[in-house]
Amino acid sequence: MTVLLEVERLSRSFGGVAALDGATFAVEERSITALIGPNGAGKTTAFNVISGFLKPDAGTIRFAGERIEGLRGDQVARAGLVRAFQAPRVLTRMSVLDNMLLAGKDQPGERLSLNWLAPARVARRELEVHRRALDILERVRLLPLAEAYAGTLSGGQRKLLELGRALMVEPRMILLDEPMAGVAPVLAEQLLEHIRRLREERGVTFFVIEHDMDVVMSISDRVIVMDEGRVIAEGTPDTIQRDERVIEAYLGRLAPASAGQGASP
Amino acid sequence: MDFLNPAFWTFVAVVAGIYAILSLGLYVQFSLAGLPNFGHVAFMAVAAYTMAILVVRYAVPMPLAAGAGIVGAVLLALILGIPTLRLRADYLAIATVAGGEIIRYLAMNLPDLTGGPIGSIGLLGPGQIAMYNGDWLAFLDRIGANLSTLVGVRVSRDAVAAILVWLLAGLLVLVLWRCERSPWGRVLKGIREDEAAVTAVGKNVFAFKLQALMLGAVLAAVAGLLLAWQIGVFSPEDYQPTLTFYAYLILILGGMNRLLAIPVGAIAFSLLYSGTRLLNFFPLSLIDSGSRAFLRLFLVGFLLVLLMAVRPQGMLGNRRELLLER
Repeated sequence: MTVLLEVERLSRSFGGVAALDGATFAVEERSITALIGPNGAGKTTAFNVISGFLKPDAGTIRFAGERIEGLRGDQVARAGLVRAFQAPRVLTRMSVLDNMLLAGKDQPGERLSLNWLAPARVARRELEVHRRALDILERVRLLPLAEAYAGTLSGGQRKLLELGRALMVEPRMILLDEPMAGVAPVLAEQLLEHIRRLREERGVTFFVIEHDMDVVMSISDRVIVMDEGRVIAEGTPDTIQRDERVIEAYLGRLAPASAGQGASP
Repeated sequence: MDFLNPAFWTFVAVVAGIYAILSLGLYVQFSLAGLPNFGHVAFMAVAAYTMAILVVRYAVPMPLAAGAGIVGAVLLALILGIPTLRLRADYLAIATVAGGEIIRYLAMNLPDLTGGPIGSIGLLGPGQIAMYNGDWLAFLDRIGANLSTLVGVRVSRDAVAAILVWLLAGLLVLVLWRCERSPWGRVLKGIREDEAAVTAVGKNVFAFKLQALMLGAVLAAVAGLLLAWQIGVFSPEDYQPTLTFYAYLILILGGMNRLLAIPVGAIAFSLLYSGTRLLNFFPLSLIDSGSRAFLRLFLVGFLLVLLMAVRPQGMLGNRRELLLER
């Protein structure tokens, strides 16, 4: 297994509060890796920094061997690392299909001049993007809603649309922030199935923040546990479940803390 | 003045067409890309002043001076956009309000450059009357003469201007129609809905916003040039923020996110605005003209409020879209 994402000593603080305090971890290619930890552990901040939406104060991020910590969000996405949001962000006053088409990568028609100078090239790519969009919509079972405004979708359908939209970018890795939160059970089951199949069929790597332990245990190959801005444990779901530090982080310390580990600065 | 005076309505038609072009610029910025530009009028002012100064002082040919005016407006867009477009939309709003006023105050307080408060007439200094639209009038007359022989009826200068302005407005609507339906337009609309989502799928939001701001500035500059040529004189007072809000009114009247609603909105606004000028019959004739002018603005405002109450989506807008706020 090769490492696709490698994060080293990542730090980021907000007004003196260290949301990330030297977090170090790696995500293997074609894995489904879960990121867990109590509230305020720094999971979402880690996602925001990795995806280029926030600049780190210190530390390095390598994606497919390239340093990406200095890149903007759009550059990170074009490099093949695409994120979804905790509260799904669909473009409400655009159709479901337009949400998908917009995300298509390498569109010459995004340059105003080429629409007039090379209309054939623009039209050709538009057709390809269109085909791909319909294909993905069918997979995530949103095809019947293709012409509906995205604002009319339910919370679960929005998550599916966001996943589909991420796929339009042809990513190597997708970051999902609590994909199951607020999703109806039937759709949640579908979503899990999509994640598994996408990994099998397209080799997409998934890095997932999730609170539902049943989901974490059933879907992930590896689990990374954060607390107070650091990684406190890393391993297979089974070993993590039995890890004392993890139990401590979630349930609070029963005995006085052992020296070093997890101590706050 | 009476209702049937064709010269009056021809002039209204010219101005309506110019307002339509002005509003098309705002459409690109506000309706497509979601950029709240409250200083649209500044692009008109910069274009008009640049053009007039070059024509009057340096005898630059009209087309070249017009081109320089448009470049000036684009530069202003860059100055306003580069520092603010990475920030939240509110910052652009504030910057454009301030930018618009700064341009107007500069025009007022740099008499050596701009002619000061008396405006374009003073461009050559006191004692001389500066005119910058001779080429434009000659151009209109040439077309008018040809047109008159063609149709066999005398075509007035304003009628030619009305035809030209509306042809241009129509052409610009077609061009923007195509831009809006291109992948470029799709990204802009996405930015209007949710910038972060568009960034997350790999689009450089800042670059797209800057392009929208610049394209809008070009359209406002064209409107500014046409208005300056058509009226023949201008002063800083002609570039009050009200003009920007007229453009917003046109956008709202027609229907916020509909390109075709802009010409309709421009016509409706002009009818409303100019038509109320004619309300001088009994019993309104009992009031003196000063109070009537006041009453007229009140009436325009009232009709607009009424329209928004009855049809919040504007004349051609889509009500369903209005209900889909985030």
